[in-house]
Amino acid sequence: MTQTFTPSRPIWCAGCGDFGVRGALDKALDQLGIARHNLLVITGIGCSGTVQNNVVCYGYHALHGRVLPTAIGAKLANPTLTVIGIGGDGDGFAIGAGHLVHTFKRNPGITYIVMNNATYGLTKGQPSPTSPVGFEQNVEQELDPILVGLSIPATTFLARGFSGWSEQMERLMVAAIRHAQAGKGLAFFEIISPCVTYNDTYRDWRTKLYNVDEDTHYNPRDRSLAFATTLELREKGRLPAGLLYEGEYASLESSTLKAEHAPPALQAVEPRGRLEDYGKVMQSFVG
Amino acid sequence: MSTNGSRPLLEDLNVIVAGQGGDGSLTVITLLAGLLRQRGLSVYTERDVLSRIKGGHAAAVLRAFSGEHYCIGDHIQLLVAFDEEAVRKKARYLDEESIVVYDDSIGPLAEQLLPEGCRVYPASFSRLAMRHLRRELFKNSIAFAVVGRLLGLEDEAMEQSFQNRFGPAGGRILQYNLEALRLGFEMASQLGLTAGRGLYKIPQNSARAQLLITGNEAVAFGFLVAGGRFFAGYPITPSTDIMEWLQKWLPQYGGVVKQAEDELGAINMALGAAMTGTRVMVATSGPGLSLMQEGIGQAGMAEIPLVIVDSQRGGPSTGLPTKPEQSDLNIMLFGGHGEFPRIVLSPGHPEDCFYLAVEACNLAQRYQCPVYLALDQGLSQNMATVEPFKLENVRVDRGKRIEGKELEKLPVYKRYLLTEDGVSPYSAPGTPGGLSLVTGNEHDEFGFVSTDPIVRKRMMDKRLGKVTGAKDLPPARTYGNPQAQVGFIGMGMLFGPILEAMEQLEAQGLRAQYLQPRTLWPVQEETLRFIERCQRVYVVELNATGQLAHLLIRHGAQGHKLQSVLKYDGTPLRPREITQRVLQQEEIKA
Repeated sequence: MTQTFTPSRPIWCAGCGDFGVRGALDKALDQLGIARHNLLVITGIGCSGTVQNNVVCYGYHALHGRVLPTAIGAKLANPTLTVIGIGGDGDGFAIGAGHLVHTFKRNPGITYIVMNNATYGLTKGQPSPTSPVGFEQNVEQELDPILVGLSIPATTFLARGFSGWSEQMERLMVAAIRHAQAGKGLAFFEIISPCVTYNDTYRDWRTKLYNVDEDTHYNPRDRSLAFATTLELREKGRLPAGLLYEGEYASLESSTLKAEHAPPALQAVEPRGRLEDYGKVMQSFVG
Repeated sequence: MSTNGSRPLLEDLNVIVAGQGGDGSLTVITLLAGLLRQRGLSVYTERDVLSRIKGGHAAAVLRAFSGEHYCIGDHIQLLVAFDEEAVRKKARYLDEESIVVYDDSIGPLAEQLLPEGCRVYPASFSRLAMRHLRRELFKNSIAFAVVGRLLGLEDEAMEQSFQNRFGPAGGRILQYNLEALRLGFEMASQLGLTAGRGLYKIPQNSARAQLLITGNEAVAFGFLVAGGRFFAGYPITPSTDIMEWLQKWLPQYGGVVKQAEDELGAINMALGAAMTGTRVMVATSGPGLSLMQEGIGQAGMAEIPLVIVDSQRGGPSTGLPTKPEQSDLNIMLFGGHGEFPRIVLSPGHPEDCFYLAVEACNLAQRYQCPVYLALDQGLSQNMATVEPFKLENVRVDRGKRIEGKELEKLPVYKRYLLTEDGVSPYSAPGTPGGLSLVTGNEHDEFGFVSTDPIVRKRMMDKRLGKVTGAKDLPPARTYGNPQAQVGFIGMGMLFGPILEAMEQLEAQGLRAQYLQPRTLWPVQEETLRFIERCQRVYVVELNATGQLAHLLIRHGAQGHKLQSVLKYDGTPLRPREITQRVLQQEEIKA
């Protein structure tokens, strides 16, 4: 067999939440039996943007903030691939925020994992869009991507995990990848993944997070309940974790690609055999 | 102009129809172009509009001719003006032989606006339309009838063209337009233009199956035929037609056209799709190209094949969205931070657009780098008749794509393998055995991030060397007399005006030759050789700073031989302007 790259060891600080995320990802991929040559992991810029180097996969290190459009392009061109986008909170919610909104509204069949540590670790601790007021002189209210996702009717999977709660994180990881794999659309999975060096919040989140998966009254298919629950918890300085919303809407690839054609990446490019058809197109210019 | 009895035979007709946006000037020109093509004439059309949906001065220009031209001519025989502003704006293109048909519904034309000798036909199109059809919008159909009569076209042919154009809409739209046409015929008769007795005689050549196509359409069609199956864009004038054409056709062949949230989204979608081995293209104009720079640098660094069409318009910033300019040359050549390989191709007419679009797709995959197609508003949007493309000659080359047995045979696969020509085999995601890391960070052969100075230097040399050593880039085309001492270099929409200016100069006893560079970057040896063999070379450009001339000087051209002919007022450069400016210069030199 042809030898390819050997996944490298992570570059993260000891104790970083990202180790847990990577572990959950690997377990989920194995559990779902995803052939690694069909796996495309697209990452952003930041600490989280190195995880593709540590996984057996086709890895693409995208530009800062552009994980989502890149992943959409890849999925539309070859929907047979399992496309997983991974980035941080700065990448996804600051420089890439515009794309986030439009990706929610498109519902492409990709899994998007955000490792949220509420700081810019790689550039040494500046406040990010999810940092609370007061963190490093931050005066801006934090952005809640789940609330943004809930406000867009096309979203079909919104979940939040915590790298301190590995059992739930692994379960949600499987569910998220399976959701996208099954052609249901975008699986958005935010994982609170503390930065032990610049924003060590492990202890805070253990008490601030409310696990809806353990709440028998919670119904993830009820969008308004998800909204109300999130708003109520935020009032108390808390956040919900677990599978927060699950619904149905046509995936981008199902509404874009037609079944009678092979997807763009799998088509022959040679004009041979299509000359007659192309000739007809050319006739449209004869008028 | 030859004569046939009392009516001159027009072998080269130039017509302007002008008024406010929404007056239907373009419809008149389009209908006229259709009729003249049926008579076996070639046509070229130009539009002159503002960046607004309705209102504001708007004009359409048509040239119909036997022979070959790729621009509007200098002598305008006919101006149809729906208002006084149209006359004010277009009078400078008229001469003593021009005829003006003027909508005098509001009042008579102040004739001092026109050159001496210019004949005026007052025709109250608007009033007539309001009185009989209660809708001013039919005035252009009335005007079409008068213009047709004036040019000696048959009433029946004009009626037929209305049936063809408005028939599909049917019902009252067709009925009202036919009524407008009839009113127009009556008006023409009152003006002394009876059926079949126009002021001119238009040749009747044998009809040819030529294409009537814009540069934008030709690029889009070339992309389709080259196997292009993914396009991402964001609406921006004057490149949008490419996205619209592809939206219509590409899905029929299983392709995807995605309108993104912005140009950042578009170029990154394109990168994602290109990663999968799909042939991809983006098209944009100035402001969009500024946004796309990060993605183009990424394509250069990560070695992702990508075709970028830049339909240049007046810059900087929002600039002149609907007007031609060639001022993005610098950003195409030097845009983006850092240093990375790229190829910049420059077609000169729609046929060239088609073939170079195909070639751009091949080169992008062969060299795994960004390839620009440098268009401009005129080349993008003006329509020209061209011979049908030779589809059977289209060749597709995916470069060093590796899969299957070939991949299995390798003991080890490295995405960024150092090779003699700098091009590494690439395996697309989904290919068993070809797992790889692709990144915009500096990297080693496996694609792992690396800051090792030796790796860094090797990788820089690998990437840059791919293109500087390329021997298969589209060659320039030369025209005119190869012994001539005076040379021309110019690109895009200037192709037609330069050729025509050379004819005018030749008639004045000045022989010239023209090199149309089709690969702007890397600068080709042949361009420098051309300059060497001329005594003086006029580098004609639609920009203020002479970007092409500076590029050539920087790459070893003999600067003292180059003379810039520049225009940057947002209007096209006419052949006569080039001729006059060259003659002025030649007198100074003499």
